[in-house]
Amino acid sequence: MKVENRMNRGVGSRRQPLPDKRMAGGSRPPSWRWKQMKKDRAVYVLLLPALLSVFVFSYMPMPGLIVAFKNYDVFAGFWGSDWAGLTHIKGIFQMPAMSAAIRNTLLISVLNLLIVFPAPILLALLLNELRQQLFKRISQTLLYLPHFLSWISVVGIAYAFYSLYGPLNELLVTLFGEGTERVLFLSDQSLFIPNLLLLTLWKEAGWSTIIFLAAISSVDLAMYEAAHMDGASKFKQALHITLPSILPVIMIMLIFQLGTLFKSNFELVYGLQNPYVDMEVISTLIFKQGIQQGSYSLTTALGFVEGLVALTLTIAANFISKKLTNNGIW
Amino acid sequence: MKNQSLGYRLFTIANYLFITMLALATLYPYLNTLAVALNDGGDTMLGGVTFYPRMPTLENFTTILSSESMLRALFVSVLQTVLGTLLGLIVQFTAAYALTKRRLVGRTGILLYLTIPMFITGGLIPTYLLYSNLQLLNTLWVYVLPGAFSFFNVIIIRTYMYTLPESLEESAKIDGAGEWKILWRIVLPLCRPILATIALWTAVANWNDWTTTLYFITKSNLQTLQYKLMLMIKESEMIARLMQEAIERGETVPNYTARVTSESIRAAQVIITTIPIILVYPFLQKHFIKGVLIGSVKE
Repeated sequence: MKVENRMNRGVGSRRQPLPDKRMAGGSRPPSWRWKQMKKDRAVYVLLLPALLSVFVFSYMPMPGLIVAFKNYDVFAGFWGSDWAGLTHIKGIFQMPAMSAAIRNTLLISVLNLLIVFPAPILLALLLNELRQQLFKRISQTLLYLPHFLSWISVVGIAYAFYSLYGPLNELLVTLFGEGTERVLFLSDQSLFIPNLLLLTLWKEAGWSTIIFLAAISSVDLAMYEAAHMDGASKFKQALHITLPSILPVIMIMLIFQLGTLFKSNFELVYGLQNPYVDMEVISTLIFKQGIQQGSYSLTTALGFVEGLVALTLTIAANFISKKLTNNGIW
Repeated sequence: MKNQSLGYRLFTIANYLFITMLALATLYPYLNTLAVALNDGGDTMLGGVTFYPRMPTLENFTTILSSESMLRALFVSVLQTVLGTLLGLIVQFTAAYALTKRRLVGRTGILLYLTIPMFITGGLIPTYLLYSNLQLLNTLWVYVLPGAFSFFNVIIIRTYMYTLPESLEESAKIDGAGEWKILWRIVLPLCRPILATIALWTAVANWNDWTTTLYFITKSNLQTLQYKLMLMIKESEMIARLMQEAIERGETVPNYTARVTSESIRAAQVIITTIPIILVYPFLQKHFIKGVLIGSVKE
């Protein structure tokens, strides 16, 4: 609660009608600006490490995107390589491996959106109904824990849990008798995506409730009292008060999620891949064909298209959300 | 609370049961891995290890920790975590402080400059080619430098700084203190709680990182613990599958012990890579969570 008070004050102080623009220039003469900048030299020095690291590690890779339009030759470099026009961009859609990766990525993302995205909202509603504080705290502690493990450790845990003589196979044998065939769950093509979703839920569903729980706790209690007076059941209260009240938060999370529709979780997919399943997504393909095999131009083109689509999706989602619910990230 | 309907009371019971099951389902796989790691490899092979070691042994751990390449990987992981966190804190703290100055000329432009990379990036291959040109591949720098700045963290620290009373800074200024003095003597001590949160996040992210090694490191003496775990997972799954195929063909399994060990060793490796976090987490949980709520203002 304390935190939330603080954050509210934080917003308040920002929204105060500060003469922001007038102070920072505009109507003032240029000489004033120069003087102010000189006075603030120390502040610019403080900003320098951040500006520099963003320049080197975020902006400097950007011109490298021209590789997508060239036949990149390691020895000729960025500028010396020959232009290839749109050959590589077209190439993406002609190569079966690439279009398969795009399809897989989209399939996983849509399933994520339908299954993984709503889970923490539901879980937050359920956690919110817990009145026993100690129970609530302990279960939250346990549910948040996997978030802090690396994806590769999660895969490692899954291998132990799913192993031929691990708990899950033992359970199946106990349930269906000695003759039951033990299954290598992680080497089964048809189980790859279900496993992916399950592990994502296991790792992140608990942690993702935090933001929704915070939103729920700031809903005006008077509304619940009024609804209670009118005889609305708890279920109806959740449906007609809680959910609409936290809709802004849901929408914002959704926009971010839509922006990643063409991205999949590289660490989990790559971690789960093994010689017995065939499941490439865009990011694993870029890594394998690009860094491991050196077809830089084609994979840069794929990355470029992916980025372009992601940006378009974010902008579109933001636009729609603003139209429909008046919430957006900018 | 007496006038609750029967339906709601049933729901409450079901809810408690459901959450209990969920919490146990979250914990159990980890406990199982821990049990396997602490259990005798040959015994694990017989199956039925649940949440406690049936034949307790530390052998799996000593096998890993007596390997020189593993100790080397541990050293690299610790180095990445310590240096990455320190550098990250310095870069982000100073930037956040500078961005609280509303009077700063060019502030809007700077904010835009910092925001754009959140939406537009060069992508993996251009980044790889850049690092290659900058001679960053196969160096320790690639673990530490690229992650030093995080716009998200800067916004969280800045939001926290806005909540500090401005009068403190004003009075320090009247006493003749410069920016540096205000930053180190007044703002830094007051920001300790939020910096603790950011430090924890950054440390966890650095410790858990293995893709940096995968993408940018080919030298084996620069591998991290998490990367070693990945290598183990890839190998042992292949062995397990080959074994099963051999059994299905009715052959006797030649390197029976190799598989046993690989499974137990892998479990021990999972425990080694996760144990620092598991040990620290229960005590610092509130610090872990705090930043999310502050951050949610902006997001």
